[in-house]
Amino acid sequence: MSTAVTAPPPVEAPAERRSRGLRFGLYLAGGFVVLCLVRVITGADELTSSGTLAVTLTATMPIAMAGLGGLWSERAGVVNIGLEGMMIMGTLGAGYFGFHYGVIAGIVGAVLLGVAGAGLHALATVVFGIDHIVSGVAINIIALGVSGFLAEAWFSDLEGGGPTQSPPLPTPFEINIDAISGPANTLEGKHWFLISDLASVVEMFTKNLSSLVVFALALFFVTQWVLWRTRFGLRLRSCGEAPAAAESLGINVYRYKIIAVLISGGLAGLGGALLSMVSSSGFQVGQTNNRGYIGLAAMIFGNWRPSGLFMGSALFGYTQALPFRQGTVSVHALLLLVALLLVAIGVVQLLRKRRVQAIGAFAFGVLFLLWYLVTDIVPRDFTTMAPYITTLLVLALASQRLRMPAADGQVYRKGSAG
Amino acid sequence: MTTSTTARTAEAIELTGIGKRFPGVVANHDVDITIHTGTIHALVGENGAGKSTLMKILYGVQRPDDGTIRVDGQDVSLSTPADAIARGIGMVFQHFMLADNLTVLENITLGAEKLHGIGDDARTEILAISRRYGFGLDPDELVESLGVGERQRVEILKVLYRGARIIILDEPTAVLVPQEVDALFANLRELKDQGHTLIFISHKLDEVLAVADDITVMRRGTTVASVKPGDVTARQLAELMVGSELPSPSTEESTVTDRVLLEVEGLELRDAAGRPELTDIGFEIHAGEILGIAGVEGNGQAELVETLIGMRQPVAGTVRLGERDISGWSTRERRAAGIGYIPEDRQRHGLLLDAPLWENRILGHQTRPPAVKAGGWLDVGGARTDSERIVGQYDVRTPGIDTTARALSGGNQQKFIVGREMSGDPILLMASHPTRGVDVGAQAQIWDHIKQARRQGLAVLLISADLDELIGLSDTIRVLLRGRLVGTFDPQHVTPSELGSAMTGADSGADSGSGDDA
Repeated sequence: MSTAVTAPPPVEAPAERRSRGLRFGLYLAGGFVVLCLVRVITGADELTSSGTLAVTLTATMPIAMAGLGGLWSERAGVVNIGLEGMMIMGTLGAGYFGFHYGVIAGIVGAVLLGVAGAGLHALATVVFGIDHIVSGVAINIIALGVSGFLAEAWFSDLEGGGPTQSPPLPTPFEINIDAISGPANTLEGKHWFLISDLASVVEMFTKNLSSLVVFALALFFVTQWVLWRTRFGLRLRSCGEAPAAAESLGINVYRYKIIAVLISGGLAGLGGALLSMVSSSGFQVGQTNNRGYIGLAAMIFGNWRPSGLFMGSALFGYTQALPFRQGTVSVHALLLLVALLLVAIGVVQLLRKRRVQAIGAFAFGVLFLLWYLVTDIVPRDFTTMAPYITTLLVLALASQRLRMPAADGQVYRKGSAG
Repeated sequence: MTTSTTARTAEAIELTGIGKRFPGVVANHDVDITIHTGTIHALVGENGAGKSTLMKILYGVQRPDDGTIRVDGQDVSLSTPADAIARGIGMVFQHFMLADNLTVLENITLGAEKLHGIGDDARTEILAISRRYGFGLDPDELVESLGVGERQRVEILKVLYRGARIIILDEPTAVLVPQEVDALFANLRELKDQGHTLIFISHKLDEVLAVADDITVMRRGTTVASVKPGDVTARQLAELMVGSELPSPSTEESTVTDRVLLEVEGLELRDAAGRPELTDIGFEIHAGEILGIAGVEGNGQAELVETLIGMRQPVAGTVRLGERDISGWSTRERRAAGIGYIPEDRQRHGLLLDAPLWENRILGHQTRPPAVKAGGWLDVGGARTDSERIVGQYDVRTPGIDTTARALSGGNQQKFIVGREMSGDPILLMASHPTRGVDVGAQAQIWDHIKQARRQGLAVLLISADLDELIGLSDTIRVLLRGRLVGTFDPQHVTPSELGSAMTGADSGADSGSGDDA
């Protein structure tokens, strides 16, 4: 271990980059085992029940789509804080087109309205060179107003609809494999360490699994492949790292930036569709509830990489889902999990000789442990807030070496090369 | 090699009567240059002489207003870099055009993916070129982790990958340390031997004389002479560039007093991992003395200066300024106590590039008149008046003090910094590479200002990679090697080669010093 500590990591070697997928898997598996352990210790079976995991998945995916949108845009050098607004446009599109023309039209409509919002952002930031944050915030405000106005105009007179919500929408096709989910359910009921927990995971993927969620999951692999394995992706990333260099090599920087922002908006719109067609039964004003921003945070936590961004989204999704599953007991069990996590982070930070972070992690870890030990349940009012606090703590104290695209957020003017 | 016999006789590039006007400025007029295939052709001239504009015209970034360009005997019109690339012309920019977070392979294939894709074929091709010219590059390494010399080789490889036979290098040595310059020149000669034509822009005349086959001198936008390196000396070349007799850096009679102004004892500095960066540094500078620090870059010069100005904290040692022990003082306190500092990288540490000159005047003086009044309020009037004084007194060529620092040439930026650092009556001036990247005219003026500081009784710490500058200006020269002071020399009696061997540690008797018997 000592060699790993003394050698300051200027840059990881190619071998280490290749093992990134492996490391991601290890983190995920390790976290899951700890979760199972906590479940066994605390007896809070909802921690890994298939119901909780299913809610987690539906809570995760909209955030993950927003984050993935942010990834596309920021990899091309455009900060997209307008994701929230594009997501709102997506929920509205799903509501209108989904109700009138069916599931597929709803999804396409959501994506297209997201793209429309992104078009505004691309025009403002790339073509006119307006500050990315200003444009993004403006889009969020506009989208909020437009969605409120159009919802009233479109849905007020419909049966089951109202000025702030659409009638119930058709749901995308759901995957059910009873042959697997049945036995898995039985196994889950035994509450065996790890085995029952894994059964919950199997059940989550075989019972009432929305095809739209599967599609969204697939987009992660598509993104990874396109951005890092194709010429298009290389050019797009070069615009986020060194646009002047890209232009000096004959690459049309504006074009790639605009495409990236449009894709970003499409993904955020898809996130909106997930919200109104999968996570709930229809469109509602204010449905996104700042998930666009949370997606952006998950992306930063994930170091501008699909795998890390997915982990960050899952963390947010899980802590959002838990309060709804016997919240007072589950969130109380979560305290122990957080305490363990913080201590683990503390050890890692200590090994990396980051004393301040280590002390902070230990201190909060002990605090959470005490809290867990001296109480039996968490007050109901606190259950919905606790996830955000714990997530914030984990994100803050696990601080890693974040590396954002070098030209991210900078306005690029054509002709800056040479 | 098969083509080189026929190629040598041909002209790779002929520029005739090239002119380029920008609003209010004539950047180029009546430029005539002939560049032979398979040669290294140097283009020299002061900053602002029009070299870069000319090269941008040749690379298709700018279009000429007059004149003709002939490449390989054919009239061509180059309106974009893509046209130039198609004609086999490639350019290595002074400021590297590389994306740090991408690999060497990605940087090279970017924009030329059609040639060999972005996968294994490209990797094979890059390795082949790298081996052919001895570049030693790993395609899968991140550019971020490469040194400056390696980055430059990536740039050259990028150009070669696209099949360029005519390569323009814009001040390629400005960012390199001496060993890297040697490596670059070896690469350039190798390229030349394989039939490539190289155009080399520089104002470092020794280098030009060492590597070029032909030299064209530019002054005020036009070509003034074409010479062979064997026929001229560096001094004659410099006079062609400036158009007048040159001052030399040499100092006049000694003004050294016995009053010690800066006394450093047992200074030790470690990096984050605890490795020593400076070990047992001790020296004195007297009023009216210039102490020159020689050394190959990266041997602790930057660390020494940053420790003395208070940017880094030593683990041991004392620093005394005049009578006072300033070891524990902050940078601001040290500056207020009378340290002026000309930083190594003026664009990163010396200036706010997008702020007007008068705001830059306040930097480093943000607690002192005339820029700041009692109570911490800015005295805009005072700052402006004093900026006007600096512009006048130090001959900073600028349209006005509301111009941003970025708009000034390197030499004028540096003159402004010198003027600012000499304000507020310093007693110690630390100058780190004060004339690096500065044209000959400004260089002479900066030398004058340093000499004047010495006459006024300041202690001056001069760090430079230019040995002639060190020998010419200093009263004493110390050599820094691997974080230790290893030798003391009297500039009156030392030669650059003696200094050079002490700098590389080749001279075992360096500690005795050659100046003791003076």
